[in-house]
Amino acid sequence: MSTALARFIAWRLLVAGLFVLVVSSSAFILVRLAPGDASREVFQTGVSDASIAANRQRLGLDQSLPAHLAAWLGGVARLDLGNSSSDGRPVTGVVASHMAKTASLAALALVVAAALGLPLGILTGTRPDSLVTSIVTVISLALVCCPPIIGTLALAFLGASTGWISIAPGNYLWPTLALALPLAAMLERLQSQAAAEAFAAPDIAAAAARGVPVRRLVWRHASRQALRPVLGVAGVVVATLFSGSVAVETITAWPGLGQLMVQALHGRDLYLVAGCALAGATLIAVGNFCADLLRAAVDPRVRLIS
Amino acid sequence: MVLVSAVVALAGYGCSRTTQGSDRPDSLTIQNGGRIVSTYRSEPKSFNRYVKSTSADEVVSRLINATLVRVDRKTGKVEPRLARSWTASPDGLTWTFALEPDVTFADGTPFTSADVMFSFQALYDPKVHSDLAASLMIAGKPMTVRALDAHTVAIMFPSPYAPGISLLDSLPILPAHKLKRALEAGTFLDAWSVTAPLADITGLGPFVIREFIPGQRLVFARNPRFWIRDASGRPLPYLDEIELQFTPDQNTEVLRLEAGESDLMTDRVRFEDLAALRDLATKGRITLHDAGVSISPDALWFNLDPAAKSARDRPWLQREEFRHAIDLAVNRSKIVNTVFLGQAVEVAGPITPGHAEWFLPELPRPAFDPAQASKRLASIGLVDRNGDGFVEDDKGRMAKFSVMTIAGNSVRQRSFSLIQADLGKIGLKVEEAQLDGQSLFQRWDNGDYDAVYFAIESDAFDPGRNLEFWMSSGPYHLWYPKETTPSTPWEGRLDALMTQQSSTMDAAQRRQLFADAQRLLAEHAPALYFAAPKVTVASSARLQGISASVLMPPVFWNAEVLHVTGPRR
Repeated sequence: MSTALARFIAWRLLVAGLFVLVVSSSAFILVRLAPGDASREVFQTGVSDASIAANRQRLGLDQSLPAHLAAWLGGVARLDLGNSSSDGRPVTGVVASHMAKTASLAALALVVAAALGLPLGILTGTRPDSLVTSIVTVISLALVCCPPIIGTLALAFLGASTGWISIAPGNYLWPTLALALPLAAMLERLQSQAAAEAFAAPDIAAAAARGVPVRRLVWRHASRQALRPVLGVAGVVVATLFSGSVAVETITAWPGLGQLMVQALHGRDLYLVAGCALAGATLIAVGNFCADLLRAAVDPRVRLIS
Repeated sequence: MVLVSAVVALAGYGCSRTTQGSDRPDSLTIQNGGRIVSTYRSEPKSFNRYVKSTSADEVVSRLINATLVRVDRKTGKVEPRLARSWTASPDGLTWTFALEPDVTFADGTPFTSADVMFSFQALYDPKVHSDLAASLMIAGKPMTVRALDAHTVAIMFPSPYAPGISLLDSLPILPAHKLKRALEAGTFLDAWSVTAPLADITGLGPFVIREFIPGQRLVFARNPRFWIRDASGRPLPYLDEIELQFTPDQNTEVLRLEAGESDLMTDRVRFEDLAALRDLATKGRITLHDAGVSISPDALWFNLDPAAKSARDRPWLQREEFRHAIDLAVNRSKIVNTVFLGQAVEVAGPITPGHAEWFLPELPRPAFDPAQASKRLASIGLVDRNGDGFVEDDKGRMAKFSVMTIAGNSVRQRSFSLIQADLGKIGLKVEEAQLDGQSLFQRWDNGDYDAVYFAIESDAFDPGRNLEFWMSSGPYHLWYPKETTPSTPWEGRLDALMTQQSSTMDAAQRRQLFADAQRLLAEHAPALYFAAPKVTVASSARLQGISASVLMPPVFWNAEVLHVTGPRR
C-alpha cells in the first residue's frame, strides 16, 4: 500500500469517526433538550410525582446534560447503549438487529438500482435520439421527483390492486423496489450524462475512426470512463438510501433503523434515538468510506487531492 | 346481603360457563379453528398490563388475561367472568365474589383466591407504580381484599361507589405462582418484559402468546384451558390463532385489508378511507362495523389557572363571555360535514350519544351565530378599534392567542383549521402551535399555554369513573387541574354534584345529578366541544363475531367469540 493511500484511508477513518460521534451526540443532546421526556406516558392518568421521579432517576434524566452525555459516551465505548425507556430492552441488541435489516435492504436496493440504472444510463446516454431513451428519461424524471412516501404507497396500491407485489410484512420485493427505483432513476440520469460525455471524448472518436465496433466502444470503453463521475456521488447515493429508508420502512413495516427511529422519537426514547442515530451514522460513514476507496481505486487524483 | 347479579347461564358442561351478553353467537353454525391476521400500528411495551398502559398493552392483556367481571361494551352491563356471582352488603361497601371453580391458568396451575389477593397486592404496591392503580382507587383510596376460602373473596370499598364493581373490568388477574417471587424481590417491573421467555407468561385469557418478533409480529395461540364455553357447550375461543402484524402506517393497513392480506384493522377507520371501504363492503369483500358515537370528542380548552402567565396581559382569555363567543362562532355543522364527511354528530359537551343513558339530548347546543358572538366579545371590551378586521382590547392590543395541537393527527388538524377560520371571522387571531405529544403534555402540565385542542381518551361510559375530569382536584380537570380548593363557586358546585353522583346508589338520582352537572358545565363552558365522530371498524368479510365498541380496544375485548367462515381471499 502506498503512503498516499494509507494516509488517505487514515484521514477518511478519522473523519468517519468524528461524523458518527457528532451525529449521535447531537441526537442525544437534542432529545434531552426538547420539552417533555419518557418518564411518563403522554396524558397518562393518575401517575404520582414519586413515580415520575423514580422513572426519571431510572432513565438517568435527573443528571445534568453533560454528565448524562459523558455517561452515555462511556457506555458507547463499552458497546453499552443503555436500555430502551419504552420496553426495557438493551438498545445495543435492538439497534444491531434493526441495523442488519436496514443494511440488507439497502444493499439489495443498491444492487437492484445499479443493475437497472447503470446500463439504462449508458443506453440512453449513447443513443440520445431513440424512442427508448425518451421513455426511460420520462420515467426516470418522474421517479427522481417522486418523494419516497408517494412512491412506496403507489407500489403498495399497485400490489393491492393487481397482486403483482406482495404487501405482506417481511416481503423483500416491495421495500426493495420502493428504495431502488428512485435510486435507479438517479443513477440512470447521472450515468446517461456521463456516458454521453465519454462517448463524445476524442479517444472514443479516434477508436471509432479506427473501426472499433460501436457496441464495444459503448460497453467496454465509454462505460468505464463514465463510471468515475457516478462513483463521485456514491456518498450521496448512500445517504439517499438511508434517508429514504425512514419513509419506506415505516410504510412497508420493514423492521429496520428508520422505523425504529420514528418509534423512538414518538416515545421520546432517549437511548434508542441516540442509538439509532449512532447506527445510522455508522452505516452512512461506512458507505461513504467504501465509496471513497472505490473512487480512489479508479481515480488516483482523488487520493492525491485528499 | 343483597344479591346484585348472578346471571350465570350454566350449559351443563361441568362447571364451564356460557358466553354472556350481546356477543353471544349463533353457535351451532360456527366452525371452530382458523387463524386471523390483524394489523396494529404499535407494539406492546410489556406483557404485564400493570407495568405499561399503551393501547397495544391493553390488547395483549385482553387476549391473555381474564378479569373478575367484564363490562359488555355494547350494553354497558357487568357480566361474570372469573367471578361467577357476587353479592353486596346493604351499605354497598363489601362485595363478596364466588370464583369459578376448576379454572386453571394456561400452564395448568389452578386459579384460586390467592391469585386475586396477589393481583391486588401487586396493583397497589408502591414499588410497582402501576398505571392501573389510579383507576382502581375509590375517592383516592385503595380497595382492600380478603380471601374467605379458596374460591371466595371479599372486596371492600373505602366509601360508597356508584359505578360499583364495573371498575374491576380493568383489573387483569395475574398468576401468583409466576409473579409473587418477582414482586417480593422487587423485579416485578421486568418480570414480563417483552424480552422475557414466553413460557414464563401465563394467564387466564382465551389466548396465549406463541411468538413475538419485535417490529414484525405477535402471534397468539388458543388457550386450550380457557374455561368458558359457548351456548352449545363447545369450548371457546373459536379461533386457533391470532396474528398481530405491526404496521405503523395506516395507509398500508387499509391496503392490506383491501388486498385480502389481513382480516382486521385493529384501530378505527379513518374518515378519508370510508368511501373506498364502503365500496369494498358493497362488493362483499369486507365488513364495516358501526361501533357508535365516540365518547372522547376533541375539546378546546383555555388555561383558567388564575396564576397563568397568559392571563396577566390578556385577562379576557379567562372570561366566560369569551368562551361563549367562541361557542357561538364555530360552525359545528361544517365540521361534521367537511371534516368527518357526515360521520359525526354535533355536540356541546363531553358527554355524547355514545354515552347512552348519560347523554342529555335536551342540553342546548349553541346555534351558529357570528353576530351574537361578536356582541359577546364587545361585552368584554374586544372590538375592532382600528378597522383592520381584528378585535382589540381596551388598550388597543390585538386579541390573539395560540392553541396547542398535536402534529400528525390530520382529522384534528382539519377541524382546527375550520375553527381557526371561524374565529378569524369574528376578529380573533388564532395561531396554531403543532407539537409532539410529549411537548404538548409538558407545557399543559406546567400551565405554560393559552389554549389546547385535544381529546382525552375516555375508558368508561359511567361518569362516576371519570372523576379526574369532573372534580376540581382531578389531574384531568383540563382547564385547571389539581386545584387545592375549587377556584370558582360553580366548580365547587360541580364537585358537590359529582361527589354525590358517584356515591349515590339510586340510578334515577344519579342520572338527575349528572344532568345537573352537565348543565352546569355547559353554562360555564370551561372546555368547548363541537363534534363527536362515529366510530367504524373494518374487517374482512369472513371474520365474524365482532361487537365493535367505542372503548379501547374496539374489537378484541371479546376475542373468544371471533370466528371465521372460510379462508382469506
